[in-house]
Amino acid sequence: MKKQLPLMIVLVLGSAMAVQFFIPSHISTVTYETLNRWMIVIAAFAITLAVGSLINHHALKIKRKKAGWWNSYVTLIGLVAMALLGILGRVESMAWMGRLYSKVFKYIQAPMDSAMFAILAFYMASAAYRAFRARSKEAALLLVSGFIVMLGVIPFGSLIWDKIPDISEWIMMVPNMASKRGILFGVGLGMTATSLKIILGIERNWLGGGGK
Amino acid sequence: MKFLEKLTKIDRRIIFLLVALAVIVPLVIPLGLPAKPGKYSKKLYDFVDKIPPNNQPLLISADYSPSMMPELHPMFKAIVRHCFAKRIRLLVMTLDPTGAALAEDALNEISKEYPVEYGKDYVFLGFKSGGSAVMMAIGQNIRQAFPTDAYNKPLDELPMMKGIRNYADIPLVIDIAGSAIINGWVNYAGTRYHAKVGAGCTAVSTADYYPFLQAGQLVGLLNGMKGASEYEHLNEKNGYSKAPKQASKGMDAVSIVHLMIMLFIVLGNIGYFVVRKKSSKK
Repeated sequence: MKKQLPLMIVLVLGSAMAVQFFIPSHISTVTYETLNRWMIVIAAFAITLAVGSLINHHALKIKRKKAGWWNSYVTLIGLVAMALLGILGRVESMAWMGRLYSKVFKYIQAPMDSAMFAILAFYMASAAYRAFRARSKEAALLLVSGFIVMLGVIPFGSLIWDKIPDISEWIMMVPNMASKRGILFGVGLGMTATSLKIILGIERNWLGGGGK
Repeated sequence: MKFLEKLTKIDRRIIFLLVALAVIVPLVIPLGLPAKPGKYSKKLYDFVDKIPPNNQPLLISADYSPSMMPELHPMFKAIVRHCFAKRIRLLVMTLDPTGAALAEDALNEISKEYPVEYGKDYVFLGFKSGGSAVMMAIGQNIRQAFPTDAYNKPLDELPMMKGIRNYADIPLVIDIAGSAIINGWVNYAGTRYHAKVGAGCTAVSTADYYPFLQAGQLVGLLNGMKGASEYEHLNEKNGYSKAPKQASKGMDAVSIVHLMIMLFIVLGNIGYFVVRKKSSKK
């Protein structure tokens, strides 16, 4: 029953939601609306699950004194502090907590997050220098296209030759899109196949236990 | 010849140092490079510009986190300035938990620059978890997804929300995101509920959205910092904003870094061909 019940729910609701799309009736619309509301509630539960999983992971790390275990204290303290500031800050008499939450977010979290992402620029420059070599005709073609697209997105491109942005756009709109469309079709077919496998109970990894 | 061979082995610390200089110098000494608006930035701008003032609101979903701030935040600010200047009503929401604070901060900052009033000219709905479920719920009734605004005020108590039910009452949805969530807005808001959708994304993910542009599923697209600087430029040109152009300043640095990367690639290839020629002679 532990496995059959979720499988039955998925079979019934999965099929119903797929069929519902093609039935323009009041009952169908109401069902759709209700299930949609449920989905939002379930998604909120997922956040609780994620927080629980994070706490569990770091508590275990501290308990077993794994490498860098002290970093887990920073994560847990940060999690609790921000949650408290965010939740209690909504209470009128504790509005200062809300202001502190905003300041911590704006002046600590946001710059740190941006800095982490910005580091990518350095690695990208280094990786492009090492990997972008015209070793074959195909690689040379990729190199030339890459150059044109890069020039097309910066103001220097049009200063060098005013047709560069147009050529860059053609590369994006024709060869790039042809491949993207192919990928999109593949992804679409793959999603349909996977959804069908889940609805029909062929794919059971989502139940846990690796489908056994 | 040895010097040319060495070009294949430039120490990465030298690359890092030069990239850092290429970023810092243009930020300290702005170059003021011209921002010629691209076709799709212009299309989005024109679409927003044609929305009648003091009427149905434009919906912006600020689905980005601080890591994407340099590219996407100026984009969000430029669109908000455009709307406030033209008195186009604005609904702001986010599907990213960290996006709420960013959007709220920008709204608080920009609302001081224009004679706008909360609840009458703009409404902040805040964050809602659920992704595609929220997009679909808005298609039925926005109150299903957001019964109240971000400050717990019921939507029916806000004058701007009178008569606003779903996508049929929203002339344009703009999603600003650095993830594939734009696909969801195109699929659910656009395809299922026939809403007009525009987007702003990070430069690295732009290639993914060209099929939607060609198919007309996106009315326009802002391409990373370039798109943001073009929007800022159009705002300034039309007298909608006098605020400092954040993205345009950043674009100077981006341009120099791009040139530097290209230079390194050329140098690497010169070295590669010299080494290859030498080894083939042997």
